[in-house]
Amino acid sequence: MSGKQRYSLGAAVAVAAAVLTAAACSAPGASSSSPAASGTGGASGSAASGPIKIAVVDAQSGSSSDLGQFEWRGVSLAVNQANAAGGVDGRKIQLTLYDDQGDPTVGTELARKIASDGDIAMFGTAESAVTVAMGPILKSEKIPNITSGQSTALTALKSPYLFLNGPTGLTYDTTLAKFVVTTKGYKKIAMLTNNDSYGAGEDKAFTSALQSLGVTPLMSKVVPSDQTNMTPALNAIRGTNPQVLFIGAEEAQSGLIVKQARALGMNVVIAEGAPAGTPLYMSTAGAANASGTIVSSPYLGNDASDAAQKFAAAYTTAYGSAPELHGAKAYDGAEIMIAALKACNACTGLALANAIRAVHYSGLLGNFAYDSSGVGIFATAIGIITGGKIKPVS
Amino acid sequence: MQSFFQTLVSGLSFGAVYALVALGFSLVYRTMGLVNFAHGAVLMIGAYVASTFYLSARLPFAVAVPTAMVVTGAVGLVIERVLRPLENKDFDLMLIGTIGAGTVLEAAAILIWSSAGRGVSSPVQTSPLNVGGVRIPAYDLLVIAVTAVAMVALTLFLQRTKQGAAMQAVAMDHEAATAVGIHVGRSNAISFAIGAALAALAGALVGPMLYVSPTMGDSLGIDGFAAAILGGFGSVPGAIVGGLGLGVIGSFAAQWFQGYSDLVTFVVFTVLVMIKPTGIFGERTVNRA
Repeated sequence: MSGKQRYSLGAAVAVAAAVLTAAACSAPGASSSSPAASGTGGASGSAASGPIKIAVVDAQSGSSSDLGQFEWRGVSLAVNQANAAGGVDGRKIQLTLYDDQGDPTVGTELARKIASDGDIAMFGTAESAVTVAMGPILKSEKIPNITSGQSTALTALKSPYLFLNGPTGLTYDTTLAKFVVTTKGYKKIAMLTNNDSYGAGEDKAFTSALQSLGVTPLMSKVVPSDQTNMTPALNAIRGTNPQVLFIGAEEAQSGLIVKQARALGMNVVIAEGAPAGTPLYMSTAGAANASGTIVSSPYLGNDASDAAQKFAAAYTTAYGSAPELHGAKAYDGAEIMIAALKACNACTGLALANAIRAVHYSGLLGNFAYDSSGVGIFATAIGIITGGKIKPVS
Repeated sequence: MQSFFQTLVSGLSFGAVYALVALGFSLVYRTMGLVNFAHGAVLMIGAYVASTFYLSARLPFAVAVPTAMVVTGAVGLVIERVLRPLENKDFDLMLIGTIGAGTVLEAAAILIWSSAGRGVSSPVQTSPLNVGGVRIPAYDLLVIAVTAVAMVALTLFLQRTKQGAAMQAVAMDHEAATAVGIHVGRSNAISFAIGAALAALAGALVGPMLYVSPTMGDSLGIDGFAAAILGGFGSVPGAIVGGLGLGVIGSFAAQWFQGYSDLVTFVVFTVLVMIKPTGIFGERTVNRA
C-alpha cells in the first residue's frame, strides 16, 4: 500500500472517528432549532413568547437505553398531545433529548448544558443514581426536574426542584412485604439485590418493611449490577430453603436471576417491585419462569383502567408497540408539568416548582399530590404474573 | 462440599463461554499479532443473528447456531477487508480500527434490533441433573461439550490441514510465508472469519443463559480477553484453560465476596499475570507490526 493510500485510510478513519464522536456528544433526537425563548432556568417568573424549552435527559445508549427510550416516548406523547391542543397559552413545548448514557458523570455534564441551553425544566432521568448526581446542579440552576427514579436517595437531596413521577421504593416494598407476609403468610424469605443505587435502596427498603412485620430475612445476598452469573448467590440462597425470593435489581438482571434460579430447580415464589412488571423482565426470564411472580407496581398493565387503555391505544398508534410502566410514569410526569405550566402561565424557576407542587392530578398511576419531599403518589397495587401477563390481585 | 461443587459447576459453564471468546481472540492474535477489540461486538452480532433465526425464523437451535456462525464469519471477513491495507504497516491504526468496527457494529445492532434486549428461551427444557445434591442444568453441559468440540476442531484444523499450517507459518514469519507462496491476506481473512464464527458460537450459546442486548459484548469481551491473557495469549489450550479458570475464579468470588466479586476476580487475575506475565501456557509473543 502506498503512503498516499495509507494517509487516505487514516484520514477516513479520523473522519469516521470524528463523526462517531460528534454523534456520541450531540443530543440524539435533538429537535431544538429555535433560540431559547424564555431565558435561563435560573430566572423565575413567566416568559413572554416563543417555544417553551424543556430537556429530556435519559440513556439513549448503553445498557439502560431501553428505559430511556420508554421514558422519551411517554414524555413525547403527552407533549405532542398538548401541543396539538394549542400548547400552553398558545406557546408550543419544545423537547430536546439528551443522552446521559446511564452514567452519573455524563449526567452532571448535561445538567450544566441544559442550564446553558435555556431549558426551563427537565424530564428524567430513569435512573436514580444519575438523577442524584444531577440534583445539586439543577437545584443551583433552579431547574425543576420530574424524574422516574424511585430511590429514597432522591428525596434525601431535599431539593425543592426535584419531583418523582412515581412512588419511592419504600412504598413499593412496604406494599409487597405486607402482601407476602400478612396476606400470603410467607415467613421464610430470602433477598437478592444488586449493588447499584436502585438495588441498595431496595435492599434497605424491603428489609425495613419485613422487620416492621416482625420478619427477618433468611439470607440477603448482593451481586454486582453487571453480574451475569448469579448461580453462586442463588446456590447459597437455595441452601436456606426459602418460600419467597425477593429480588431488587433492574429488569434484565431480575429476569436473569429468575431464569438461573429455575435452571437450578428452585421453585421458590418470586417477589419484586416495578421491574418485574415490565416486558423486559418477562422476556429475559421467560414467561414460564416468570409465572407466579408477585409484583408491586402502581401500573399493573394496559388493561388496568379506562385511562390506561386510552393511553395504551395512543402510545401504540404513535410508536407501534405497547407501553409499560416506564412510559406510563413518564406520561404522568409530563402531564403534571404541562398542568403546572398552564397554571402559572409558563413560569420558570421556583415559581414553576411551586406550581408543580400545587398540581393535583389523577393519572395512570393514581392520584398525585406532592409533598415537600417531591413525592406525589404513595400507593402501589399487587399483581401476579400469569401466562405472561400481570393479573391484579383483587 | 455440595456448595463448593455447585459453585464449581456454575463457574465451568460460564468459563466455557469465556473460553470460546478467548479462542477467537487468540486465533486472530497468533495469526496477525492483532488484538481484535471488535471481538465482543462480533459476539453480540452472532448472538442477535442466532436468536433471530431461532426465535423469529423458528429454525431449530442446532441449525440457527451454525447459520449464525456463517453470517457472522462473513462480518469478520468484512472487518478484515477494511483493515487489510494496514496489515504489517500501521499496528496502532489497526487497533483503533477494530475499536471503531466494534462501535459501528453496536450502533448497527441498535438500528436493526433496537436498544431493548431480548430473552432467548433455552433449547434444552429438561430439569437440571441432580448429582449428589449438585444441580447441573442440562444446557450448561451442552455449552461445555460444544466448547470442547470447538477446541478439538480448531486444534485439528491448525495442525492437520494445509490452510491451518499456512496460518501458523504466517504467524511465525509472514515474509518467509509470502516467499514460499502463502497468501498472507487470505490467511488473515480466514483467521478473522474463524475468530468471528467462534465469537458467534459463544454469543449464540450464551444467549439462552443470559439475554441478548447491544451491550452484551462489552463485559463478555473483557472477560474473554482476560481469559486469553490468563491462558497465554495466542495459545489454543491456553484459551480453554484461561476461560475455565476465569469462570471458576469469578464464580467463587461471587460466592464469597458478593458485590465485590468483580473486583476480587480481577485482583486475582492481576496477581496471576504478575506471577506469570506470559500466561499459563506462555505462548510466544507475536508482534508483526
